[in-house]
Amino acid sequence: QNEERDGVRFSWNVWPSSRLEATRMVVPLACLLTPLKERPDLPPVQYEPVLCSRTTCKAILNPLCQVDYRAKLWACNFCFQRNQFPPAYTGISEVNQPAELMPQFSTIEYVIQRGAQSPLIFLYVVDTCLEEDDLQALKESLQMSLSLLPPDALVGLITFGRMVQVHELSCEGISKSYVFRGTKDLTAKQIQDMLGLTKPAMPMQQARPGQPHEQPFVSSRFLQPVHKIDMNLTDLLGELQRDPWPVTQGKRPLRSTGVALSIAVGLLEGTFPNTGARIMLFTGGPPTQGPGMVVGDELKVPIRSWHDIEKDNARFMKKATKHYEMLANRTATNGHCIDIYACALDQTGLLEMKCCANLTGGHMVMGDSFNTSLFKQTFQRIFSKDFNGDFRMAFGATLEVKTSRELKVAGAIGPCVSLNVKGPCVSENELGVGGTSQWKICGLDPTSTLGIYFEVVNQHNAPVPQGGRGAIQFVTQYQHSSTQRRIRVTTIARNWADAQSQLRHIEAAFDQEAAAVLMARLGVFRAESEEGPDVLRWLDRQLIRLCQKFGQYNKEDPTSFRLSDSFSLYPQFMFHLRRSPFLQVFNNSPDESSYYRHHFARQDLTQSLIMIQPILYSYSFHGPPEPVLLDSSSILAERILLMDTFFQIVIYLGETIAQWRKAGYQDMPEYENFKHLLQAPLDDAQEILQARFPMPRYINTEHGGSQARFLLSKVNPSQTHNNLYAWGQETGAPILTDDVSLQVFMDHLKKLAVSSA
Amino acid sequence: MAELYVKPGNKERGWNDPPQFSYGLQTLAGGPKRTPLTKRVAAPQDGSPRVSTSQTSPGPPPMGPPPPSIKALGPPPTGNCPASSAEPTNFPVIEAETLLEDVLKPLEEALEDCRGHTKKQVCDDISRRLALLREQWVGGKLSVPVKKRMALLVQELSSHQWDTADDIHRSLMVDHVTEVSQWMVGVKRLIAEKRNLSSEEEANEEKSTATAEENQTIPGVQEA
Repeated sequence: QNEERDGVRFSWNVWPSSRLEATRMVVPLACLLTPLKERPDLPPVQYEPVLCSRTTCKAILNPLCQVDYRAKLWACNFCFQRNQFPPAYTGISEVNQPAELMPQFSTIEYVIQRGAQSPLIFLYVVDTCLEEDDLQALKESLQMSLSLLPPDALVGLITFGRMVQVHELSCEGISKSYVFRGTKDLTAKQIQDMLGLTKPAMPMQQARPGQPHEQPFVSSRFLQPVHKIDMNLTDLLGELQRDPWPVTQGKRPLRSTGVALSIAVGLLEGTFPNTGARIMLFTGGPPTQGPGMVVGDELKVPIRSWHDIEKDNARFMKKATKHYEMLANRTATNGHCIDIYACALDQTGLLEMKCCANLTGGHMVMGDSFNTSLFKQTFQRIFSKDFNGDFRMAFGATLEVKTSRELKVAGAIGPCVSLNVKGPCVSENELGVGGTSQWKICGLDPTSTLGIYFEVVNQHNAPVPQGGRGAIQFVTQYQHSSTQRRIRVTTIARNWADAQSQLRHIEAAFDQEAAAVLMARLGVFRAESEEGPDVLRWLDRQLIRLCQKFGQYNKEDPTSFRLSDSFSLYPQFMFHLRRSPFLQVFNNSPDESSYYRHHFARQDLTQSLIMIQPILYSYSFHGPPEPVLLDSSSILAERILLMDTFFQIVIYLGETIAQWRKAGYQDMPEYENFKHLLQAPLDDAQEILQARFPMPRYINTEHGGSQARFLLSKVNPSQTHNNLYAWGQETGAPILTDDVSLQVFMDHLKKLAVSSA
Repeated sequence: MAELYVKPGNKERGWNDPPQFSYGLQTLAGGPKRTPLTKRVAAPQDGSPRVSTSQTSPGPPPMGPPPPSIKALGPPPTGNCPASSAEPTNFPVIEAETLLEDVLKPLEEALEDCRGHTKKQVCDDISRRLALLREQWVGGKLSVPVKKRMALLVQELSSHQWDTADDIHRSLMVDHVTEVSQWMVGVKRLIAEKRNLSSEEEANEEKSTATAEENQTIPGVQEA
């Protein structure tokens, strides 16, 4: 329903009218919100929004409000306060409505004219403990990025290895830098004193009414405009050398990532708080020295694995995580974001550092080397532009959620931090980051998506609220990449229904795709603090309860079990979710799990579903490419398969196809259709590869190839000999173990759903 | 004008490194959008998996005649088949060689134009980089695509098409950073300086025509 327009997908599109009934729905009332969804058809309006005058409300004028055009009054649909229109609106009438009252503008964007506009800031924090080729490739990427940055943006450089160097950028030709030891952490004040930053640059918040532009912004010696400094910085980058400290045999380089980040955060805090900035950390290995170190410098002591963590054998983890969490929270408070670009063959400490990206909305990119197309192109795409020629990246967003009084906000899951704003909309029960109706997202783009969870608070047997509809308003204030401040407002409404008499309506309005992603986010959120098996048990329990409530069946008769169309895909999603790298950690390193979870917690619905249940398309001579079941039965000798897991694109040639290709039939003119068949999936794969951020890995394999394991591990193994399954031992609650096939899983599910026990 | 091509990824450094797309391909907004591959198939509700007939079943090998060897494999079927959309077009590669002076002379002239208006240090820096460009060109260190695109850039610069020239510089930085990074930033600056100079000159022209009009229409009025 209007996802294209509003960027919102709800788990339920008809809402149960009482709290008790809502909890019986099993899947909470929740939505996926993409606050800055790309809307080429929505030009922003050049005036400021009209607010409800009640201080505890302040909702924004929207199409759901009742308007008295003669008396020039409007009634807030959230608190029912009657408000006077401001003087500028004296000319409005039924035939001359302002845009924000028109139903097609349920989502509308305002441009804020007042206030100084501050430039975007990019602070590069670069690891020099890299191999020569890698460092050269990284240097070139950074030099290239200077051509992609807006000319007015400010740019800075910190390099680190054993020591941390803050480079003073000047046009004078003599480059100076301030050197810090990598072993000792410093407070923000110490950093600012040592760098000679006395007081912050011109305060950002001073509004100068009537002045649309352009105070020449005080730049610091360490952060200079690109158009002034690009030539010198290009040379400076070109001259960067590998960290000079020798690394002896059997040792890792001493890498002071923790202090380097700390200095970066402190530098921005002291010079440009409260304005859009990215700290971009480029690292080629784990932190091995100082606060935030993740492993020692002895190579024979490996970096922690999941096994180590389970056995409580990860010495540095807690302390390091704490260090980075402290930095991440400070950065979010300052309105800045931290990106991590980690390219190495072994782990780099993403597990400990993940909060830096997750709390601030920064990016996390994981590759094998800076000298790969995966890194180079992913990095280029950070600077991609939209249809207007503006950068897609946006900064410093605050999201506020307002609800009609029958609803409260329980929390949000996504790349955000809480602003701790209490109020009438805030529920006492927390799901995700709760206890607030406002969150801060310091770095975001048109695909950034939050999961927002609600609680129905209407009492049981209380009448369905007058008007029959509940409403929610999402207000996102942010800094656009053109440096304008904007406000995007989305206001939606849905019908209430009495669950007892109108269950069918509610059932038909279930959005299984949104529900699957919202439940998955809850599961992954839990997995950060709970034991893996407990999360799976919870997930299974919710699925069984959902089937018990909404399945059609005769008691004790599993074969009679049916789910209506609006639920038919849901158990499949849950099956694949249980097997996914988001909930199954033992096939991945802690860094890999962190990487996958990072992306899962911020992508939009379509991409999230791809991550949960990869897409599989089959190409054959018999017609256009068709979607097929993610099942081993789809692997056929005369088919080519294209699998998209979001992180990988796999092209797999069936046995016969592979033999034909080996025999060279595609080069013979009479078999041109075979040539086309081979090309078709390559073209489709290319289209995905050209657009996706981050860039996926690309696997082109065939029957019997070693890389075929990527496909084989994802498909449901329905074609193997029967698996034995075990009932859960400890707690007595049944576990549907994950080595089973979908068929066995479904059999189990049906048995449990229909049983009266 | 930028080239559209795809190179394979770096298989040595990154396993399953994806292919590299040229700047031109990456900035193509929209373009021929195929149907997005986002559909799914629901598992059959009665639980029985679709059994495919052509899959060999696991278990003991069948008795009887041995399975056919690869040599006996039939060829693929001919005839209709869903064609993939865009056919790759082949550009004929016979083109005139790009001359050094065709590129460097206009750049050096542009630099001279900027001398009065831009700081000396910046001009010297640009000049140094143009010399480096010359050196690399003469030394045969620059590839043909780079030379061709530089010629285009210079053309756009001379026609005052600042945005296009800028875009070409960006495409060169993205696609050929190793070759161009040392001196391209000088060309980038040159484009920016010429742009500023040119808009200043236009502004001055407007001002001078405006004051000329004023002088004509408003008689000087002296009152005690």
